[in-house]
Amino acid sequence: MERFAELLIASILLAGLYATMAYGLGLIYGVLRIVNLNHGGMIMAGAYAGWWLHEELGIDPYLALLPVALAAFLVGVLTYGLLVRRLPRGAAGGVQSLLLLFGVWLVVRNAAYLMFTGNDQTVRTSYSTLAVPLAGALVSVNRLAVFAAALATLVILHLLLRKTYLGKAIRAVAQNPESCTLVGISVERIYMLTFGLGTALAAVAGLLGATLFPFNPSFGAGELLKSFVVVVLGGLGSIAGTAIAALILALVEVFAILVIPAYLTAAVGFVLLVLVLVLRPGGLFGQRVLG
Amino acid sequence: MTVMLRAEGISKRFGGLKAVDGVNLSLREGEILGLIGPNGAGKSTLFSMLAGSIPPTSGRFFLGGSELTGKPAFRIARAGVVRTHQIVRPFSMLTLAENVMVAASSCGRNRALARKSLQFAGIDERRHEYPMRLTLAGRKRLEMARALATAPRVLLLDEVIAGVNPVEAQEMTRLIRRARDELGVSIVMTEHVMPAVMSLANHLIVLDAGKLIAEGSPGEIVHNPAVIAAYLGKAHAG
Amino acid sequence: MKPPWVRPRAVVGLLAVCAVLAVGPLLHGDLYAHNLVTLTFLGIAAALAWNWLGGYLGQVSFGHAAMFGLGGFVAARAQISLNMPMVPAWVFGGLVAGLYALVWGHPTLRLRGPYFSIATIGVGEATRLVCTYWDWLTGGSSGLSLPMQVGLKYRLYWYGLVLAALAVAGSYVLRRSPLGLSLLAIKSDVDAASDVGVSSTRLQDLVLFISGATMGLCGGFYASYFSYIEPGDMFGFDRSISWVLMGVIGGIGTIVGPALGAVIFVLVRQFLIASYPQLYLGLYGVLLVLVILFEPLGLTGLALRLAHRFGYRERPDLAT
Repeated sequence: MERFAELLIASILLAGLYATMAYGLGLIYGVLRIVNLNHGGMIMAGAYAGWWLHEELGIDPYLALLPVALAAFLVGVLTYGLLVRRLPRGAAGGVQSLLLLFGVWLVVRNAAYLMFTGNDQTVRTSYSTLAVPLAGALVSVNRLAVFAAALATLVILHLLLRKTYLGKAIRAVAQNPESCTLVGISVERIYMLTFGLGTALAAVAGLLGATLFPFNPSFGAGELLKSFVVVVLGGLGSIAGTAIAALILALVEVFAILVIPAYLTAAVGFVLLVLVLVLRPGGLFGQRVLG
Repeated sequence: MTVMLRAEGISKRFGGLKAVDGVNLSLREGEILGLIGPNGAGKSTLFSMLAGSIPPTSGRFFLGGSELTGKPAFRIARAGVVRTHQIVRPFSMLTLAENVMVAASSCGRNRALARKSLQFAGIDERRHEYPMRLTLAGRKRLEMARALATAPRVLLLDEVIAGVNPVEAQEMTRLIRRARDELGVSIVMTEHVMPAVMSLANHLIVLDAGKLIAEGSPGEIVHNPAVIAAYLGKAHAG
Repeated sequence: MKPPWVRPRAVVGLLAVCAVLAVGPLLHGDLYAHNLVTLTFLGIAAALAWNWLGGYLGQVSFGHAAMFGLGGFVAARAQISLNMPMVPAWVFGGLVAGLYALVWGHPTLRLRGPYFSIATIGVGEATRLVCTYWDWLTGGSSGLSLPMQVGLKYRLYWYGLVLAALAVAGSYVLRRSPLGLSLLAIKSDVDAASDVGVSSTRLQDLVLFISGATMGLCGGFYASYFSYIEPGDMFGFDRSISWVLMGVIGGIGTIVGPALGAVIFVLVRQFLIASYPQLYLGLYGVLLVLVILFEPLGLTGLALRLAHRFGYRERPDLAT
């Protein structure tokens, strides 16, 4: 029973991270209809950024969240402005943008390798090993902090999308880009900002993940797939949908330990992805647009 | 006159919505059957079912004696029921000649027929070009040529005339009539361009909200109060 | 009794090149180059096989290492445990790999474009994880060793030549035959293709199978060449990526583009391994970006542009 509570809490905490991570991918897909294959690369970049700031400058990872997010936002804006913008929109651009962003991922990966070598790294702070009792189980402070940070990020995101003009413009473009130009929304600007936002979310998730798991430059493929599972499961609709889907994935992954050997749990996500894509391409909540 | 295409109680349900509700339809050999009705009446859905693009929720349909219900689209095409598309869908990576070749060879016809279809549709001189070089009218001709290259017994024309200028519209109308008269193809056509449908169709059926509300000759349909009500609202019917 | 779509020039050209390559090693004694070319033959065959799915059908797979690895391990196991001779073992491995491709690919091909590609990443990685711990088949992380045979590596050059030549011929047939036209129609618009009688699902299954089977056969070849294979390498994501790179940079969807990409890839990697071992993925990433932005048909596209400058024009294919 204690084990059950422990696993359940672990799932919930993990789901926070997954939701943040997935939303970055989903935002870009929902608005631009592009699958950002550099998503994994930016998660990895966020992890390294946080690690480097901590190792070299002693900055606590949670303090580094804002600067890393801003930097990643800029990277995303540049990626869109310099590269993605040149591709044709719509179905014709589908595989092309996939390959383009894949190329960017390779470059990012190589850059990380050159700068930091291929060894595993983690971010270890003074409080990394602390744990507190919660509902009869011992929960690491780290995981709680990550969850809190993820939750905060999602709340900010929700407010941004619902309450601000920018947010409404983003949702409008997601639904109907052509009409947006008629009401004075610069669709290209929104695309650029959304790409930046999605990239920033990926980096934030990466930074948070760096405090929990070891990572190296090849990190990212698994996270990309998990993000995709969450997006497809939860649909492109509300943050709530994403959160529920993230929870489902986390639950399946964590509880799978009870039935299959530990080394295969990573495969669970992949298998789930293929199953979900093939059986319910419309997502569990249907393919709604943002909002 | 033999019945070529026959549908019995065809229905399509999307979740809670009944897009097509128990439609019966008979297309006789060598005839042009017009399918009309206000927007959202279910014409496209009915069309898609006849072409095999989507399966009916209930009901059946037959080509001559053989049942086509539930068969995949390519089987229905090879059996002799071929559709064109409302929004043209040419094979953009193939030349015009290759577009019709694919259709012909997939349905067991030879390349001579493919070439003749291009000539019939009047786009033969441009056969080595790609569809994107053509105007909309040209691409609609390609849709027809591609369908005809399969030597169909029944041609399902989905709004081939809408969206082109009046001169082209007249040309397309002529083309459709020639397909019936010279090639012996039986045709079901849906259309919003009323003059074309009225002049071409031997027989009309009218759909409204998924149900068949009237059928008859063009002359009869024009005066049918139910039809007028469907298009213009009840106030105008009387 | 030659089909009208086979150009005599192409047949003669392929045979001539093969003749030169077959005789070549007997004239020079450079063992290093000899082995490099053997690996290039393998790369050519694999890249072309990838291209049948990724280029001809337009469904880009990031998980083809799944078939490569499966074929390789099945072939190795068959030789070790069943005493199967080498080439039949390759074929057996290929068949198993082809069937596997059908199993995951048939339902997944309902997905279009990017969704399919993402799913293939999942397939590749899941296959890797499961097979890494399937001790009997793969020997776990320690891998499998095949008994060493004297002189085999040297002789594999000619086997590789045949393999590559068959892959080139297959690519030619697949593209220029009426079947190839149907594949392009499917690539352009799968539903419209069905509407005019193309059995889209069946043809896609066919391509899946032969692409996967050829990959599997290549895996068997690889196993025989190195006499030792391990799952991390055989099923690796990096390996899957390499074929995407070869295909796209060489010229996705063209007949021999990916072969060109394979040659460049092997050569560049050899060169970089000496001086800048970890640069090559990043370099290819840049190349990939450049290709996508400026020359969708990659090196083949560039070559065609150059040829057009010099007045070369393609004849219309159908003499209708």
